[in-house]
Parts: sequence; structure tokens; C-alpha cells
Amino acid sequence: MAKLPVTLTVNGDEYDLLIEPRKTLLAVLRDTLGLTGTKEGCSTGDCGACTVIVDGRAVTSCMVLGVTAAGKAITTVEGLAVDGELHPVQQAFIDTGGYQCGFCTPGFIVASKALLDENPNRTEEEFRHALGGNICRCTGYTKILEAVMQAAEEVQATA
Amino acid sequence: MSDYTVVGQKVPRVDAIEKVTGTAQYGADVHPAGMLYGKIVRSKHAHANILSIDTSEAEKLPGVRAIVTQADVQSGRRVFATDKVLYLGEPLAAVAATDADIAEEAAELVHIEYEVLPVVQDVMEAIKPSAPRLHGDATKDGPNRRGIAAQIRKLSRDKETDHGDELRALEAALEKYPDEVYYNISAESHSEAGDVEQGFADSDIVVEDTYVIPRVHQTYMEPHVSVASADSSGKVTVWASTQGPFAIRSGIAGTLGIPLTQVNVIGTTMGGGFGGRFGVIITHVPAVLLSQKTGRPVRVQMTREEEFLDGRPAPGCVIKLKTGATNDGRILARQALAFWDSGSVSGASIGSTIRVRGVYKIPNLKVDAYGVHTNKSGTAAYRAPGAPQAIFAGESQLDEIARRIGMDTVEFRLKNMREEGDEVPAGGSEPRVGYKETLQAVADAAGWWGREKDENQGWGVAVGDWTNGCGPGGVYVSVHEDGSVRIFHGSMDITGTDTSISQIIAEILTVPYENVTITRGDTDSAPYSTGSGGSVVTFTMGNTAKLAAEDTHRRILELASERLNANVDNLELREGAVHIITADPPKSISLGELAAYSLSTTGGPIVGKGSFARQPSTPALAAQIAKVEVDPGTGRTRVLKLVASQDVGFAINPMTVEGQIEGGTVQGYAWAMMEEMQYNEAGNVNPGFVDYRVPTSADLPTVESVIVEVPAPNGPYGAKGVGEPPITPTLATMANAVCDAVGIRVNELPIKPEKVVNALRSNGH
Ligand code: FES
Ligand code: FES
Repeated sequence: MAKLPVTLTVNGDEYDLLIEPRKTLLAVLRDTLGLTGTKEGCSTGDCGACTVIVDGRAVTSCMVLGVTAAGKAITTVEGLAVDGELHPVQQAFIDTGGYQCGFCTPGFIVASKALLDENPNRTEEEFRHALGGNICRCTGYTKILEAVMQAAEEVQATA
Repeated sequence: MSDYTVVGQKVPRVDAIEKVTGTAQYGADVHPAGMLYGKIVRSKHAHANILSIDTSEAEKLPGVRAIVTQADVQSGRRVFATDKVLYLGEPLAAVAATDADIAEEAAELVHIEYEVLPVVQDVMEAIKPSAPRLHGDATKDGPNRRGIAAQIRKLSRDKETDHGDELRALEAALEKYPDEVYYNISAESHSEAGDVEQGFADSDIVVEDTYVIPRVHQTYMEPHVSVASADSSGKVTVWASTQGPFAIRSGIAGTLGIPLTQVNVIGTTMGGGFGGRFGVIITHVPAVLLSQKTGRPVRVQMTREEEFLDGRPAPGCVIKLKTGATNDGRILARQALAFWDSGSVSGASIGSTIRVRGVYKIPNLKVDAYGVHTNKSGTAAYRAPGAPQAIFAGESQLDEIARRIGMDTVEFRLKNMREEGDEVPAGGSEPRVGYKETLQAVADAAGWWGREKDENQGWGVAVGDWTNGCGPGGVYVSVHEDGSVRIFHGSMDITGTDTSISQIIAEILTVPYENVTITRGDTDSAPYSTGSGGSVVTFTMGNTAKLAAEDTHRRILELASERLNANVDNLELREGAVHIITADPPKSISLGELAAYSLSTTGGPIVGKGSFARQPSTPALAAQIAKVEVDPGTGRTRVLKLVASQDVGFAINPMTVEGQIEGGTVQGYAWAMMEEMQYNEAGNVNPGFVDYRVPTSADLPTVESVIVEVPAPNGPYGAKGVGEPPITPTLATMANAVCDAVGIRVNELPIKPEKVVNALRSNGH
């Protein structure tokens, strides 16, 4: 299949790529760029493991074609820590035990970051619904919500 | 307990940074240079004869590098179907190509000619004589016929006396049970204690019901994946997402006829397993075959759809259960007849039917269980294999009896629970287990005794038991010149077990937890380790780690005695240094200094080792209470409160233990309320997350966990395996709660809204 030249901006770095139009953003991130932190759990848009932030919004990257992400700002889990300092959501997942096998964790962390950027001032119930697109099979969600609430507090305190 | 400084503490996990930054390497993240992408060619029918397999068109597709079928399996062991397929999605061939999309296209271009055969999916249909046979004509007698037939065999063996009349009578009796010949049976299991008939006769109340539990998928979030690389010397390296690298090593070697030393399995970080990640054939063997044929590394990764079609989920089953009790709440007898849907091969956990017994004194018990073939993929373990199904039946029926005799359901259970010293059927006597403490704890925490409810609200309780397994394992420990400690072993981390191992070693060597690091070896380098399943890891590897740390401790004191010129008996290791107890002024040497000194001694570096195989384990109990509200209009059930207690022996890391309790409880909730793999003539019809719904955070409240600690005599620090028990009672907890809310007992899971609405309607609502 003919490849198209595309420039992608991922975690602030620009990449000039030749990609097939049928490749998803998830496939480009993982296979072409080697950014394997973003996970593939279903490739049908139903589990949230592949969540990345595109122009400030959380999207499931398995449902986006790579070529359509040209010119947009893409953030993946690899881009959250700044100068070796973890993002408050990452730290909170460690402190509360918000992950077990960790496979859903990049998706949850990225989705939570997008929610916190948008509005950290939500109740636990609101976060529960806002994160309803992400599946975790291990934790039963209790500690994930604890983590998100801790991060929300932290983000608000430092805002 | 408070004497400990590292064990028993909620320390962060050893893999914290890699897990939250995305650097942990899972199977699909492995990408050796030159890697090809594999794809499995699967049956499009649930039952068919294969007339031909034509790969020629697929081979011509640019980018395709190899196609393998059963003809490529030189050992002759079955990897791919050849003349017959027994379920939709059964593997027939595998393709390797330079790109994942090309591999997928090529798989579609493999032309297979089928002769479609009749399909059977329902176990109760499959046992009938009219059912299509999956594997020849083997039949089994049902329990009644079986008993008579055994008697006939016994009498006919006795040549001394003439049993003619008796035999004729028995033959006649046999004819009373013509329907009791079962077809498509894959396995059977029978056990009996006491006299159930007498037990039922002595009972004031006898309740009999049929429970139907669906097949559900473990739904670990990481689909199966392996990357295999065969080099020209014949050495095979496999990066495998698995719970048991050593089992995979011997599985690959055995299946393909390769010497064990020529197979190295590197266990990658595991994205959940829950018992379903031990299979050898699923992706590992096809990946190896493709790599052998192409001479290049090959990755075979399943899609979520393939997981549903060809994973090895938990078996569904039908359990006919009968229980007799007295009006004052004593259980006298229980009898179960179970049919487990083992799919196209044998292997369903039919032996777990005995768990209908629960943790109660039941003097008369009889259990007959059969595995039944249907046109589905085979099954595997899922968190306490077989227990959630059997315990759902057992605990639902207990609840019903308590209701009918007007006794509080918690008190009814407390009254019948086994106690320390009670005889156990397998022999020996009941050890001390926190059965009653755990149930009391959940009742107290949930506010059971003062419980209130509004209209359409209800409370449900249930308990479930499970005993961790154990198996061989080995651990090495070394101490470095900076005083840090390095652990080396070969067991897969299963949600925090590496952390527990590290905590144990830090505790014994009295070093800060942060100074302990852990490395997992592959099967070439690490000592053998049993698979990470059956809640074995903390028990087995915890004990192994303890032995390794104690061995290291011995070596440390030996060196210190040499260095400090003091008798070992006068030495003490504390806070990372060896002190002479009697010295005044105090005299000590740090572990770092000792490690540096060791390099110049004749004895050499500080190394300790531990190896362990088995010790008797102690049962663990999980007890749960749910408060729900059912909307009679929509049939929807909302969980208002979910409290889970568990006797964990000793919580080495309470944070990860709580995580296990919360996660297991929610999986049980999902089995009760949402999940069901659905099949028809075509095969599985809901192979994706849209039609197979698993819970999200929006479906649930916070799970409150309560840790109960009644130490296990042989567990490390008294710990028991914690992973499996919490899923065991939840199915019944939910059903009991729904029943309490709207008076409807749903015996056929999952409790979907439409079932509740229909039941309410037929009850005149
Ligand atoms: S992999 Fe994209 S939503 Fe599941
Ligand atoms: S931690 Fe395993 S799926 Fe969420």
C-alpha cells in the first residue's frame, strides 16, 4: 500500500514519517516510533488501553488513523514525566496501589491527566463516570479512583 | 506483628516506576530486528470436516514469508486441526509476513473447504443420545446406573456363588434409569461421605434447585502474545507472556521434540493472567514454527476477538443441588450432580464440584460430576478454578434454606461452620482457620446486624473458601559492597509478588526496603520456579525467599565473626550492620563493609540461596456482603455497598492484599451480573467488549476490604495465598442480595435486567 509522508508531533518531538494510510495512530506509535507505553487491549475502541492525548483531548488511538494526526500535538504516557519528575497522577498510582498488572495503567493515567487538565474539581462519582471508557480487569477500580482523587487534590493545591 | 519493620507494611511496589511511565516490557513490546508478524488461520465453522486446505494464493501475496500447517510439525504432536474442526476459531494454519496487515490479509487468502456438521453447544443437550458426537461414541452412566452397574460387575466377578437372581434384579433395576446414559462425556468425578438418602429423610426441609453458571473469559487486558526466535543452531528463544515460563519451556520442547536446553523462555511482564496464561499451543508453538521456517523472529499476537474465540476461558456448568436441614438450622445432607462444559477437549475443573460442601459440617454428602464436550474452545483455570461456580450453587441454596426456616443467614452459616479439630473428609482434622472471624468481620464492617433497607433494596451475604497451592522454587541473594541486596529468581511477578519477596528479604537482612532490588532470570539462567497460579507465589516464593535470606544471614554472621574476631553467638544483625552484642564500647561492621571484605577472603562474596518445594497449606475464607437496589421497572441492579473480608493469614503488603480482594470481588460481581460467553450454531457470538461487557468504574462503588489474619502455620510470616479466594463468594452474594431486595431468586447467571423483569412479571408485578 502506498505510503504517505506525514509529520507527527509526539511528546514535543517532531517525526517525519512515511506511513500507510491504513495504519492506526496506535500502530504508528508502537511499531514505527517504538513508543510501546501505549497499549493495545482490543483495537476496537472499547477498552481505553491505547488512550493518548491529541490536542488536549483523550482519544483511543486504535480508532484514529495515523495520517489524520498530522499537525496535532500528541501526548503519550512516555511524555508525562517532566525532567524525571513524575506527573502527580503517576505518583498517585504508585502511592495508592492503583495498578496491578499495569497493562491498563498507561491508558488510565493518560485519561486521568486529560480529565485533570480539563477540570480537577470533580467528585469521585464524577470521575467514576468520566473514566467509564477504560477497562481494568485487576483492581476493581477502588484504588484507581483513590489515585485519581489524590492527584486531583494535588493538582488543585498547586494550581 | 508490630515487631516487623518491612513486612506487614504498605510499601510501594518494586516495579512502580516502570509501570506508571510505560517502560515495563510486555510481550507485544518486544521487537527484535527483522521481526515478522504472525497470524493464525482459523476455522469459520463450529463443527466441520476439513476437505482441503489450500495455501497457494496466500503464499503469493507480497510480504508473506511462510505458512505453516500441521504438516510442518515434525514431532507429529497436534498443533493445528487437519481433518476436523470442533469449534469456531480453531487453528488450522499460521502465516508470517513482513507486516501485520499483510499477515491478516494472507490468513484470509488461505482457502479451506469444509463439510459442515451439526453443532451442540448446550451441555444438557450434548449428553443426550440425539446429540452430535464430538469424539466418537463414548458414553458414561449417570450416578444411579453407575452404582447398579458397579454392583453387577462386583457380583459377576464372584464365581464362588451363584448370584443369578440378584443379577437379574439388578438388570431390571438398571432399566429404571434408561435416561441416565450420558453422551459426549470428557471426564467424570464422584465422591460420597455418609448416607445422603438417610440425611434427607431425617431433614425437616429439603430444597432442590438447578443452577446454571455461564462460561466467562478471564479477560486479562493483555491478549496472548509471543515472540519466537529460532537460530541456525536450533536454539529457540521465546519471549512469552505467561504465568509459567518453565511450563512453557517444557511444553514447547515436548510439543516440538526439541531438547529442553535448546529452549529459552523469557517471561515478559504479564498483563493479567488469572489462570488463563499457561497455554503452550495458543501462540507460543505457532510462533516457534514460523520462526523455524523463516529463520527470523516472529511475533504472534492475538486480537481481542481471537481471545474470545480461542482463549481458554472458565467453564460454564449446570449444577443440580439438593440440601436437607433441620428446622433449627442444622445441615444434614447435600447432593450435587454437575455437568461442566469442557468444550472441545477435556479439562474443565469438574473436581471442584466438591466445593458445594463449603466450610460447613455436612455429615452426608454426595457429589457426581461430568465434563461434557461441546463445540467450544477448551477451558482453563480462572481464579480459584471451579470454586465460584460450585460455591454459587451452595451458598444460594443455603440462603434459601435460612430464609425458609426463618433464620438469619449469617447466623445460619456461623452455626454450621467447621471448627478447629473437626474431621475433614480428605483425612486429618480441620486446622485453625478464621472462618467465623472472617464472616463476623464482614458482618460488623457492613453493619449487618443493624441493617436497614428501603423498598426494593436488599442485603446479601456469602462465603467462599480456597486453599493455595505450592510448588518448587529457588531464590539467590547477593550482598554488594554498597550494602545493597540483589535478589535473583525465575518466578513471574503476579501483581505484587516480587514486592512481597523483596520485603521478606529486606526484613531478614535488616536493610531498608529501597536497598533491595530484584531481577528475574529467564529459564536458561534462573533456578526452576513453579508457575504463578493457584495463589502459590507468596506461599512458595515467600518461603523460598525466607530460606535464601536466612542462608545469607548465616554467611554474613560467619564473615563478621572472622572480621570482628568475635564468636558468632555474640553477634547480631540489625539495621544493616553486624554488632557485637557484648562489646563495650559498641563495635559493629556494616553490610557494605562486610561485602567489600568478603571479596578478599578465601570464602568469597556473600551469596545465599533458598530452595523450597512444599509444605501443607491452610484454607482461606472470603466473606462478602452486598447491599443492592433493584429497579423493578428496568430490572437494573445497583450496588450500594460491597464489603469483602478475607482471612489472609498475614498480609505481607496490606496494599497489594487489599488490591487482590477488591479486584477478585469485582470479577465475581461481573460473573454474577454481566458476563456470559454466548454460543449458537455458528459458535461464539459475542467476541468483543461491546457484547461481552466487563465492568468499568461507572458500574461500581468502592469495594471496602477487611483483612483478617489467622496465621497459616507453614506460610511465610503466616501468609496464605490471597489471589483466588475473593472471587469465590461474590456470585452468590449478589444473587442473595437481589433475592432479598425483590424476592426473586435467579439461579441462572448472569442476573441481567431482563431476567429480573421477566421474573417479577411472572410473579405478578
Ligand atoms: S486498544 Fe484502543 S480502546 Fe482498546
Ligand atoms: S492493572 Fe491489570 S488491567 Fe488494570
